Amino acid sequence: MKRFVFLFVVLSLILAACASPAQSASEFDINNWDSVLAAAKGQTVNWYIWGGSDSINTFVDNFYGAALKEQYDITLNRVPLADTADAVNQVLSEKQAGKEIGAVDLIWINGENFFTLKQADMLHKDWAQQLPNSQYVNWDNPAINLDFGRPVDNMESPWSSAQFQFIYDSARTNEDELPRSYNELKDWACAHPGRFTYIAPGPGGFLGTRFAKGALYEISGGAEQWLSFDQALWDQWSPELWNYFNELEPCLWRNGETYPKDESELVNLFSNNEVDLSMTNDITGAGRWITDGRMPETARAFVFDNYMIGDFNYVAIPLNAPNKAAALVLANLLLDPKLQAAQILPANGFGLGYAIDVNRVTDTTALAALQESASTLGDAATPASELAKSLVGDSAAEYQNLLEQGWQENVLQK
Amino acid sequence: MKQGFTYLFRFLLYLILIAPLLLFAAYAFSTRWFFPQPFPIEWTVGTFQRVVHDSQTLSSMVQGVGIAFLVSVLSLLLALPAARVLGLRKFRGRQLAWLLIFIPSIVPPLAVGMGLNILFLRIGLAGTITGVVLAHIIPTLPYTIFTLSSAFARFDENYEFQALALGASPLQIFLKVTLRMITPSLVVAALFAFLISWSQYLLTLLIGGGQIITLPILLFSAASGGNPATIAALSLLFVAPPVLVLAFTARSLNQHGNEIREQY
Amino acid sequence: MRDKFIFSSWISLAPALTIIMVLLGASLLYAGAESLGYVSVIGQNEISFDAYRAALDLNSEFWVSLGFSLWVSIASTLISSAVALALAVWLSERRGNTDTLALNWNLAFPHLVWSVALLLFLSQSGLFSRWAASLGLISTPAEFPVLVRDRFGIGIILSYLGKEIPFLSITILSVLRSQAVGYDVVAENLGASRWQRLRYVTIPQVMPALIAGALLVFGFIFSSYEVPALLGVGYPKALPALALRFFLDPDLRARSEGMVISLIITLIVLIVAVISLRMGERKE
Repeated sequence: MKRFVFLFVVLSLILAACASPAQSASEFDINNWDSVLAAAKGQTVNWYIWGGSDSINTFVDNFYGAALKEQYDITLNRVPLADTADAVNQVLSEKQAGKEIGAVDLIWINGENFFTLKQADMLHKDWAQQLPNSQYVNWDNPAINLDFGRPVDNMESPWSSAQFQFIYDSARTNEDELPRSYNELKDWACAHPGRFTYIAPGPGGFLGTRFAKGALYEISGGAEQWLSFDQALWDQWSPELWNYFNELEPCLWRNGETYPKDESELVNLFSNNEVDLSMTNDITGAGRWITDGRMPETARAFVFDNYMIGDFNYVAIPLNAPNKAAALVLANLLLDPKLQAAQILPANGFGLGYAIDVNRVTDTTALAALQESASTLGDAATPASELAKSLVGDSAAEYQNLLEQGWQENVLQK
Repeated sequence: MKQGFTYLFRFLLYLILIAPLLLFAAYAFSTRWFFPQPFPIEWTVGTFQRVVHDSQTLSSMVQGVGIAFLVSVLSLLLALPAARVLGLRKFRGRQLAWLLIFIPSIVPPLAVGMGLNILFLRIGLAGTITGVVLAHIIPTLPYTIFTLSSAFARFDENYEFQALALGASPLQIFLKVTLRMITPSLVVAALFAFLISWSQYLLTLLIGGGQIITLPILLFSAASGGNPATIAALSLLFVAPPVLVLAFTARSLNQHGNEIREQY
Repeated sequence: MRDKFIFSSWISLAPALTIIMVLLGASLLYAGAESLGYVSVIGQNEISFDAYRAALDLNSEFWVSLGFSLWVSIASTLISSAVALALAVWLSERRGNTDTLALNWNLAFPHLVWSVALLLFLSQSGLFSRWAASLGLISTPAEFPVLVRDRFGIGIILSYLGKEIPFLSITILSVLRSQAVGYDVVAENLGASRWQRLRYVTIPQVMPALIAGALLVFGFIFSSYEVPALLGVGYPKALPALALRFFLDPDLRARSEGMVISLIITLIVLIVAVISLRMGERKE
């Protein structure tokens, strides 16, 4: 027995000694874009991206994968995640293990996850505004240069925009009867017991978190106060938020005994007539889901009169990314006006909005394509004017954890 | 009357066996099939084609097959000498050896995966095929050893001695006598090592760290509330190898099937 | 000669045993280190029992999950043992291998796929619910009983029954078939009724194998992640699901707590396995 213990110790030591990865990244200068392109040539970019939607996956492969290969000789390796926090965990584990060359090149990210990586000092710096296509981004817009109230600090580059909305089935529910505020929603839910539920706020359930934040805004009577973090403010209003949810609970699907954990699960409930409302972040409303064959063709989007949170989402490069040049090229490609015009078309299956400011685009064909796309969002989308009227920004990143944890303890486990 | 009951029972048994496959086929080849329609209305091969042509699915299948192949070859190589002495010899410490081989078959993959996660990160094995293969060997090896040692327990060494007396070289003896006599068990052991590896979820997740994607990982992330058509299509792809293996080894199953079952 | 034998035996065993001991030993060692808070990424390199204290705190989710896991594992084990016993006895009175073959067929469906199938069959808007609606038995999905993703783990238990009943049946059947027919016939000649034969001859025969098998089943169910993760609800979680949630938490301090839970699961499973081995030995 002793002999084996000894053997084991020796072997671990040998294995540990063999492991010192070699640096392989070629040199480039972010201010000289040609050097970036040259360094990126032939690289494979490992893009860690939320993989919960088939149509988004297909869009990414067909549009960016193909363009990267043809234009830049870069191979796209899309790594699907159940939750973006998994990628964050991966990067942090690599840091813990002292791995100087990691596995992740680019992450689709925002809010809390961005904040965690920034705090751990695991983000590549000084690059987003140096991308050539960054000229189309309105960096003066606080909705872009702040991510959940935290400065972006040139460490992430926007990809698209989104706004929280609800979805109903026009064959089942009359538009006039829809609730238009959180207060009305509670009455509506209790008038139709078991026909409403929301996504559990927490990992993978970012739409649920957004839904809950909207409720917090309405209950506290304003969105702006939540932009910076204030513990006292949270302590003042959070009990009323839990109160709202606990009053809502008996009227919910399965009496609130369980909640759908992500958007896709809620969509299944909605389409199978288990509940009457679904939720989305898409500028195309229900369009992507109809294309997917996941919702009936009669599905439509709608918004409350106020407190529909909208924001931008980004891509970030970890400090230990093995193929930084290729990641930069991809981040730049995401802002290409032609691809931006493609991403909001419901038929293409991505469904999120523009990250670029259409007014900054001078190329006439690209501009025409962008305007054309914006006007063909389809019947399943919420009209742009209603979206704009109800739009509010997201709250400071610190509230994210407080809300998700608090909801677990005060609503789910009650 | 009693006969009728037996037939009914058999019919139900076989129905239960085939039902999951029918169910997956119905979901995989239809779209917009919602409650309360009892059967699909819109049939399509679109979803299945999309899933099969998806680069992620393809690479996950290739990786899964490659890993499972390596795992089964390595397990056999490691298991052969061990199974031989365990099957044929009585020696001091034999029980201890059995115990040591038994342990990995019961230590939960959860604990193994979580523990190896950091070690493999340190030594650069996390997220590599090598790392995942090594991790998969832990649950596979005991079963290959069990299967092969019971073959060796029935093995008569006199055949080897005879061959030796007739002037055969050790290599010849191994290839032409030993291997040939245990071939059926060898095949079963290899196939089931393959299946155990093919269906591993947790170890692949924790050691592969999102870089080694196999079919169970794709299926699992789709299964919790995803698109039913995609889930069903992935399930069909996932069960294809086990179904083939079972059809292939149906006869040897009565002997070995139960030894393997709990790993998956 | 004897010494040479021992030596050459251990040489042949060495490759397999080395791999097992290095990998398993290293994983348990690292798990232990991490459970004691030895997590270098957040600069914490001191041994502490904080994670144990946090995980085992009387108000922590651990106890709820432990209870849930015990309930699911014990219920699944007991029900599948009883059904398997009945099935095996019934089958042993019949000739032919077809049914055994059928029992083996469920090997074609790994736990993961089997659970997926149950989801599609049994959910409130699943296939059975749709058929019930077509027959006019229900009008909305909500009227269909909650059989998967339910608070009491019914779906999880059903999934394990589908996999473990065949496993245990085959275990019992192989004992029954390997026994000489004699005992049964002798008892019958002595005038024992069918029930008496079952009670005093058959059951004592298969009991050791059944208990050993059942304990393995218990250990497997208690420590496996996939089925409760797919067919369970967010709260209460099964113990392995809770462990993995802590382990994958972006907050790295939670990892130690995940390790603690995983080690506790391992300990329980090992104890059960040792008991199972003892039972198995007694049989011989």
